[in-house]
Amino acid sequence: MKLKKVTCKEVTDHICESLGEELNSPICLSIKEHLSSCTDCQNYFTSIEKTIVFYKKYNLELPKEAHDKMMDLLNLSDV
Amino acid sequence: MNEKELIEKAKKGDKSALAKLVKENEKTVYNFSFKICRNPEQAENIMQETFLSMIKSLNQFDGNSKLTTWLYRIVSNHCLMAYRKKKNQFLSFEEENDIEQKTPSNWSDIPSNAVENDELKHILDDAISKLSPDYRIVFILRDVNGYSTEETGKIINLSVPAVKSRLRRARAFLRDEINEAFRK
Repeated sequence: MKLKKVTCKEVTDHICESLGEELNSPICLSIKEHLSSCTDCQNYFTSIEKTIVFYKKYNLELPKEAHDKMMDLLNLSDV
Repeated sequence: MNEKELIEKAKKGDKSALAKLVKENEKTVYNFSFKICRNPEQAENIMQETFLSMIKSLNQFDGNSKLTTWLYRIVSNHCLMAYRKKKNQFLSFEEENDIEQKTPSNWSDIPSNAVENDELKHILDDAISKLSPDYRIVFILRDVNGYSTEETGKIINLSVPAVKSRLRRARAFLRDEINEAFRK
């Protein structure tokens, strides 16, 4: 899967939203300025983003036996 | 029929509406339970307990939130109760400070679809299993399921600053664990 390339503005807006900050608040503007030139912070953000993406994609199938057993237990298997 | 209508019917004793509600939410509940408990058998038990609780207290559900939010609250309570019985198996953040920012590595070469790789799945399993469920729940609700900080706090009865603090630590811990594994 090819990922969409995001712009620095999108990245910083996302960080500010995640922090619950207004996009033009003083702290958000400082973050934008800092992030545009700091490789460590850019790497930090990318690594956190990818960690989250990995866990989002990681799901299990519900075994059919588990479903059947539960419907029995709930007395709903005949519906 | 939408969720609200199904709930109203189920409250009046309509078994088919109740079965539909269970079927529509069972995968979500099972996956959430598994992500918190990290044990398929326990996840199955908690899923059963959760739907038993749902049926028992459906009349108290006021419909102000989504049914899944209410179910997450029940799952969280069950998981945390089970966890407190066997505490000490997990990493505690209460005294450690070394989880704070280390020099970040460059992850730009790691493809985001690398999770399809079995080795990475193993790394993810290992990392999240070491995290205490108190922190794991916050990470899953906030980052994986996309709830806001306030909503997460309501689901697990935590203040907004506590949610933010746990999220920051959980993210940094997982990131560092994955990073370590990639270096090996």
